[in-house]
Amino acid sequence: MEQSEALAVEAAAENDEVTEETNPQPEKAKKKKKISRRKISEYIFCYGMLLLPLVQFAIFYVWINSNSIIMAFQEFEGYGENGGEIFKWSLYNFQRFFNEWSNPNSVIVSALKNTFKYFAAGICMIPISFFVAYFLYKKLWGYKFFRVLFFLPSIISAVLFVTTYKMLIDYGGPLDMLLSLFGVRVPPFLTDDATATGAIIAYTIWTGFGINMILYQSAMSRVPQEVMEAARLDGVPWYRELTQIILPMVWPTLSTTLILVITAMFNSTGPILLFAGAGVEVDNPATMTISFWIYRQTQKAVDLNYPAAIGMFFTFISVPVVFIVRYIFNKLDPKVTY
Amino acid sequence: MKTLKRRGMRSSKDFLAAKIVVFIIFAIYAFTLIFAMLWALSASLKGQSEFNQNLNGLPKQWLFSNYGKAFTAVQANGNNMFVMFWNSVWYSCGGAFLGVFVSSVTAYVVAKYKFPGRGFIYAVALVTMMIPIVGSFPSQYKVYTTLGIIDSPLLLVTKAAGFGFNFIVLYSFFRTLSWTYAEAGFIDGASHLKVFFRIMLPQALPVIGSLFMVSVVQLWNDYMEPTLFLQSYPTLSSGLYIFQLEMTRGINYPVLFAGLIISVIPVIVMFVCFQNTMMESMSVGGIKG
Repeated sequence: MEQSEALAVEAAAENDEVTEETNPQPEKAKKKKKISRRKISEYIFCYGMLLLPLVQFAIFYVWINSNSIIMAFQEFEGYGENGGEIFKWSLYNFQRFFNEWSNPNSVIVSALKNTFKYFAAGICMIPISFFVAYFLYKKLWGYKFFRVLFFLPSIISAVLFVTTYKMLIDYGGPLDMLLSLFGVRVPPFLTDDATATGAIIAYTIWTGFGINMILYQSAMSRVPQEVMEAARLDGVPWYRELTQIILPMVWPTLSTTLILVITAMFNSTGPILLFAGAGVEVDNPATMTISFWIYRQTQKAVDLNYPAAIGMFFTFISVPVVFIVRYIFNKLDPKVTY
Repeated sequence: MKTLKRRGMRSSKDFLAAKIVVFIIFAIYAFTLIFAMLWALSASLKGQSEFNQNLNGLPKQWLFSNYGKAFTAVQANGNNMFVMFWNSVWYSCGGAFLGVFVSSVTAYVVAKYKFPGRGFIYAVALVTMMIPIVGSFPSQYKVYTTLGIIDSPLLLVTKAAGFGFNFIVLYSFFRTLSWTYAEAGFIDGASHLKVFFRIMLPQALPVIGSLFMVSVVQLWNDYMEPTLFLQSYPTLSSGLYIFQLEMTRGINYPVLFAGLIISVIPVIVMFVCFQNTMMESMSVGGIKG
């Protein structure tokens, strides 16, 4: 609608231009006016095109996120006469949050600990993917096959993969059969609090490095052949080639992925929702993470203000982290140009 | 010269040893992935009682009928798999189309036109992508409820975002795209809109196509948002999860696995057709920053 309006206005503006062009008076003032008219039609086009996306952004980014902040500072008070919920301004959510730290059974504290475990796993995955990418780049036997196969878990639905994984590590499953050859039976990984998060992290590692692997490999393939050839003639051993030639040359790609993992620290999580059911409690503190806890609270829709406050708190912590990390990585950059 | 050669030989020998070790590790890892997929496939072909007695062996009788059964037996909130399939199609294709289309409009305008506020828009797009928002679900829930788009296909409006990752990719594409064709269009009297749709957009189709595919796969596999915001419209991903949750006892696992395998077939077909494009653009999609 807005676009067609813009089109109409613009067409009108262009008609003006045409009439002006037919006017054979090369005066400076006229010329200036003509340019500005063209500019105006350009602006109308630009703003017309951007109108809907900007409205969308204002609603689904600005409104949602400022509403998060408002919700964080509000507390449910009761129901109004017309049945609507009434909220009052308060710092209750934050008081409650800081009290969590003195509570040894706190879900939030446990969730934060688990979030850091997922985060550590995410960091470890980067050198592993880099290493895998290097050997695929060096055309290890069957590298084309490995490349496709290792990538597959990144596009196949996690619902299928998690359901299968649960069966594979279950009592009586293939892992159990394998271990029983050595006289060991599998423990109940997912129902035991001590191992549940570990088992889910193992899943994220098992299925998790396809995307970075491809990313690093395509960065490596852009390293000039002459450099590699020179290294080969000098008899540089492979581990030095990897760490002293390839690593500095693909550093921009590597640092981008590292920055992303580090800045999204508090969002680190796994497909915990899919692991729930059949004896695995979805709200178990032992498998909770911050972002999954917020998701679950929204799903229950009982108290939305407290999870909003926690989300806001960790987002605010993330902001300086983002800038510090980006600054440090910028300093670390070996700035190799080729 | 001699020492140089020897050094070269020693290093290549070292590398051979490393290659053998790495190959063995890769082969073991590859085996676990293939095994998991074949295990799921074999489980989907068993009878229900056979699944319990013969969990890990190959099926004695290949019951392809499980696949037919899955379409009606797998239910989530009273929707069968035909409905879920349709929901997945409109959710993923519709969402991907809106996202990529709106982004290409914004990216084109910001990349190719100079107007007041352009720098600001670009900066906002970059900064908002850099800041990781932790859990905005509660606020989303409230806002969507206020707007009345929760639990309705109208939720797709939220996917029509013009300033995300798609914007950055398309922006850098349009930045490097020559303006000569557009100028030729203007001389021929085409309007800005016409130049965009007839001349510039068609040149971006390969990029748009690969971004579209990436979004389709991501939305197709997304189970968290549909579970939360589209309860009456379960997609295949959310529906198959809800089905498992509702049927914890006496679940017919072979039929469930048949349903799960059906749910991944469209993605696999896409992957087989556009393997390299998808691997490259998915990996770029990994760097959403």
